[in-house]
Amino acid sequence: MTLAIQLPQAGLRRYGSLLSPMAWGALAVAAVVVLLSLFAPVLAPYDPDYVDLNNVLAGPGGQHLLGTDALGRDLLSRLMHGGRTSLLGPTIVVIGSTVLGLLLGLVAGWSEGWLGKVLGRLFDLLFAFPALLMAMLAIALFGKGLFAPILAMTIAYVPYVARLAQSLVVAERSRPYVQAYRVLGFRTPWVVLGRVLPNLIPTVGAQSTLNFGYVLADLAALSFIGLGVQPPTSDWGAMIEESRGALLGGYILPAFWPALVVVLVVVAVNVIGEELSDRIGGKLS
Amino acid sequence: MSQLLQIENFTLGFPGRPPLLDSVSLHVNDGEAVALVGESGSGKSLTTRAALGLFPGGSESSGLVSVQGLDTLTASKQRLMELRRRHASMIFQDPRAGINPVRTVGDFLTETLLRFDGLSRSEATERAVKQLEQVGLRRAKELMDQHPHQLSGGMLQRVMIAAALLNSPDLLLCDEPTTALDVTTQAGIVNILREEQQARGMGMLFITHDLNLAASLCERVYVLRRGEVVEHGPTRTVFLTPEQDYTRQLVEATPVIESGAASASPAAPGPDSAVAPLLKVSGLSKTYQLPRGEIITALDAADFSLPEGGSLGIVGESGSGKSTLARLVVALETATSGELTLRDVPRPRRPLNASERKTLAKDVQIVFQDPYLSLDPRIPVGNAVADVFRLHQKQGRKEAKDSARNLLGRVGIGAERIDALPRALSGGQRQRVALAKALAARPRLLVLDEATSALDVSVQAQVLELVEELRDQLGLTILFVTHDLAVVSRLCSEVLVMHQGRIVEQGPTARILEDPGDDYTRNLIASRPRPLWDAEPVTA
Repeated sequence: MTLAIQLPQAGLRRYGSLLSPMAWGALAVAAVVVLLSLFAPVLAPYDPDYVDLNNVLAGPGGQHLLGTDALGRDLLSRLMHGGRTSLLGPTIVVIGSTVLGLLLGLVAGWSEGWLGKVLGRLFDLLFAFPALLMAMLAIALFGKGLFAPILAMTIAYVPYVARLAQSLVVAERSRPYVQAYRVLGFRTPWVVLGRVLPNLIPTVGAQSTLNFGYVLADLAALSFIGLGVQPPTSDWGAMIEESRGALLGGYILPAFWPALVVVLVVVAVNVIGEELSDRIGGKLS
Repeated sequence: MSQLLQIENFTLGFPGRPPLLDSVSLHVNDGEAVALVGESGSGKSLTTRAALGLFPGGSESSGLVSVQGLDTLTASKQRLMELRRRHASMIFQDPRAGINPVRTVGDFLTETLLRFDGLSRSEATERAVKQLEQVGLRRAKELMDQHPHQLSGGMLQRVMIAAALLNSPDLLLCDEPTTALDVTTQAGIVNILREEQQARGMGMLFITHDLNLAASLCERVYVLRRGEVVEHGPTRTVFLTPEQDYTRQLVEATPVIESGAASASPAAPGPDSAVAPLLKVSGLSKTYQLPRGEIITALDAADFSLPEGGSLGIVGESGSGKSTLARLVVALETATSGELTLRDVPRPRRPLNASERKTLAKDVQIVFQDPYLSLDPRIPVGNAVADVFRLHQKQGRKEAKDSARNLLGRVGIGAERIDALPRALSGGQRQRVALAKALAARPRLLVLDEATSALDVSVQAQVLELVEELRDQLGLTILFVTHDLAVVSRLCSEVLVMHQGRIVEQGPTARILEDPGDDYTRNLIASRPRPLWDAEPVTA
């Protein structure tokens, strides 16, 4: 008894403490990338689409900090502008899938009858389709660009959030405090939206943070196979794809920089997500 | 007589914080049973663990803790392993937490014999079987091939005792080994421990929060409070003539069966009175169907009635159906058959809709057992109570907050705590808030589902006092669900004993406690721990 009571309190104290050095680093990386992308129009040294055929595949240093691509476009500027599309996609997907997933998860978790079961099976069914496959299907229907993959990814990532929310709701529903609300005569929507939902947000937030990294990588992959963002719009995945020719010719950098940024952001987001879920896990254990 | 366990001026704490244990001194002689009693957070477990060289990570300690001359504060890892393997064993509160669920009982018992004692498989099995028989388990051979989930909590605790005795330890440390068990099961375990301790001449240190239990098992006792030993001596002397105020408080707060003394509410009409009962239950049953088609009867044709202003205790062990009954009364469950009438309103046999629930809320409320789970962790306690006033008394935001402050004050939660989150409150305070929340709906019937079972005895006594006070002031009708006969004898004029889903006996509390008509009730009363110096039951 004593231990069972003391553990969560120890976790709570930890909840308010400082982040681990690893998480600080990840947060710094993410912040730098976001700020550079956000203020790309002001900060970027060149027009990302300016073609300078006299200066193709230049190495780093000199006039171009990170060098140029096969068309002589400044890589740093393209990276910064590319971040705007590359980060926008996952942001929309994560917000969309979180909101939809939370709602469906709440409904599925709360209804004890057939509705919960049907929704649960539906989530399982969606799990069976790889996100990339769904995205390609959507692209076949709606055409290339940013819209179709974002729509498809949002749907594909709903079950990740919904399944988690559902299991949390099922656990919360049987807790005495929720039962006390029922006995006290509070209406179900008030209890679910006003009282249960806020208690799920931290855990679901951690899951969604992790999702951001996966979606970013997936969208970059779509752009890489030419189904996502279309040229000349700059996008990290598209940049890697455009650099395939140069790569075969022995020029690594035009593909290396965007790949590095994708890896950095995905790792950073994962570290932050893990840290969040660890802390919340510690709090709830 | 040599000192088996010797603890001198043992202090333990984390740097920069007040010590958790402050100069604790105690000893256990060969062949002696010693109790260590105290409330939660007093440091009982820390002290005991130190005897095996188990210290919380990052803690600092000083003083002497020695077992048969081995100082566990300074001993090498190897010597400590040797100590734990050959000389000292420990039994914990939750037997299920201490056993690997995917391995059989036999694997668990023979593991150390095979690894460290060099026994062959057949020798080890033979020893384990013999040990299982010794702790009173029948069909020990079959048990060896079973998995932990196939055993009841009581059986599993016997397995743990068998495991602890396998290496013939000189010192047996017991950390609340019966707290998670039913009274009748506890009685069996206590007998085994006492017999084994005497037969083997083992030293035993028995940790418990239950003074009755300590008195039934141990010759000497140490009373621990906030990391300090406040009193020690022969159990009888300490409990009958306590010298320290704290010990006296503990003794007084420990519930005993009071016959006749039950503080029946004034003018509570008897069951035969002409007044229509507030709650009437007839033939009420609840069955569950398992996925495999098996049918479990949680409650079997319950019949009883509770008059307005009455207080009824529902007593039973785990699985007796008492909680199912409580949940049926507050409509958290729907009956399978039978009638339940509250204030002349028959309960429909389907889940209630929103408006029915809201109406019902003004008639009946419930307080649950676990004070750590029964409040919303994110809502300040004042708001939690104010919400109820806004819903049921149609009060505005400000008015509701004032009402909440008043009511919380009445249950002993001061205005300075009104914005506190539940986690900032102690268990007793949370239970007071839960009580206030329930009372804010101004119910006539209050169901208390083991509402004081998770609390320390002194806190339990205070909360019970509060319930009595509120009952008398507000004219509440009380339905008190509990496993503890003593608590019922204090609070309820009528009692109903349940066993395996059926009501085996009901009537006035005093009569049932003095002259139980049913074998199960007799067993339940006889199972209560009795002091060693007293062969008579505690009823008197």
